[in-house]
Amino acid sequence: MESIVTVSGITKEFRPPLSLRSLLGLAAKNITIQALDNLSFGLSRGKILGILGPNGAGKTTLLKIIATLILPDQGDIIVNGYHTGKDDEKLKSFVGLILDEERSFYWRLTGRQNLDFFAALYGLNKENTRRRIDELLDLFEVDYADKRFDSYSTGMKRKFALMRGIIHNPELILLDEPTKSLDYPSAVYLRNFIRDKLVKKEAKTVIFTSHHMDEAMEFADIFMILRKGTILGMGTLDELRTFVDKPAAGLGEIFITLTKSRYV
Amino acid sequence: MFRTAFAFLKKDFLVESSYRLSFLFNIFTVLVSVLSYFFIDRLFGQTIVSHLEEFGVNYFSYVLLAMAFFSYIGIGAGSFSSQIHNEQVQGTLEAILLSPAKIYTILFSMGLWNLINAAIEMALYIIFGVYLFHIDFSKINILSSGIIMLLSISSFNALGIISASFTLLFKRGNPFNWIVGTMEGLISGVYFPITILPDWLQFLAQFFPITYAIRAIELAVYRNYTIMQLQREITFLALFSLILAPLSLRIFSLSLKKARKYATLGQY
Repeated sequence: MESIVTVSGITKEFRPPLSLRSLLGLAAKNITIQALDNLSFGLSRGKILGILGPNGAGKTTLLKIIATLILPDQGDIIVNGYHTGKDDEKLKSFVGLILDEERSFYWRLTGRQNLDFFAALYGLNKENTRRRIDELLDLFEVDYADKRFDSYSTGMKRKFALMRGIIHNPELILLDEPTKSLDYPSAVYLRNFIRDKLVKKEAKTVIFTSHHMDEAMEFADIFMILRKGTILGMGTLDELRTFVDKPAAGLGEIFITLTKSRYV
Repeated sequence: MFRTAFAFLKKDFLVESSYRLSFLFNIFTVLVSVLSYFFIDRLFGQTIVSHLEEFGVNYFSYVLLAMAFFSYIGIGAGSFSSQIHNEQVQGTLEAILLSPAKIYTILFSMGLWNLINAAIEMALYIIFGVYLFHIDFSKINILSSGIIMLLSISSFNALGIISASFTLLFKRGNPFNWIVGTMEGLISGVYFPITILPDWLQFLAQFFPITYAIRAIELAVYRNYTIMQLQREITFLALFSLILAPLSLRIFSLSLKKARKYATLGQY
């Protein structure tokens, strides 16, 4: 099957924040953190990949690198035939990143005005913007788009983050902990929406990160277990069961076996 | 490009107009500033008459025009940096940079609202000057003034882009903001003609485009100087623009790359 994302040998080390002292070589040598270590994988169109891992495993970093917000130290990423770092502007049209950030909107504007602004940055003309916003508001059953953003609850803001992430109809959708802070019905609705509408109907490809095994089980086709920037295992549930040699294991048990975690 | 620029303009207008009192206070700030210099002129104006002979005006007329001009190009210079900082603080910078809009289009669009605001502020200075204090602008050489304005905007925007590069990388403690906002006020002739300064400060002033811009605009507006008479100032301003404009874009591009490498785009 056609691969929409190919990640080859991605390595990323985090250094301490940039300062004038470090730039002039005056700062003491600092400890670096290995965020991603020689990561390679591919993902076919129309699949949902769930990235699981403890805090600091490198999940968000990986999403940000694919979306071109962070440059890797080494390696190459190809999305829909475009290389990160070389074809960023073209690549960005194919990618929608939804981060776990409430702050990333203009709180003194309405939800609709926010979407209108970001749609313009994605090159949608006035007519298409209006149509697309109405379509998304309808899809997400949002009737508060003309109220100011600072009056929204966390769940409402999350819906807007998702609408913004897909406003340009991207082929690859990257979701960082998509159901975090959502109540149970909203989380179920969101998962069903992504699974049924975006993936099954529109053949989009989704990569999401999560701490929740149940969510991942319900949602993903393929799982990646990540720890300290290294892939410990990747595949379907059956493939992972074979990999850990536990034919009846659930995802949680596989996760514990691979990460040697004491908790899930 | 126009759609992106218009989107930023609309967004900034909507955000700013939600703070209704802010605009009103801006008007009063300009008025208070003008009044302050009016009274300073009444107190000390006579003591610097000899330094103003070449401009043919009193201290108040000199400083009002310099303030009006500096408020425009100075704010323009700081606008890129302040907008980048605002977007970082609001958490929207990453969301903006996720879009496929070209980085230079984003940068230019970010500064637009502040430039328009600065133009309004400059107009307020002029309006107060003409209607409240009867300052005579009738000798203005429009062609010279226009060229000086364009060249000043170009070199100051370049300084502004360099300043924004620092903000992108180091967040605060921006040396360019300090140079443009503070140092240039002292040595470039905004608040008084630079002939008052000691020789070493006058020497230093030659390295700032604002020095040439202020002198040239004063002469073009109050003495009707032509382009030929302002040849030296216009040449220096053009040189600053030619060197700074491409340099600033290169520096910004490198800073953006560095911020992406250090994963600090959204940090502030």
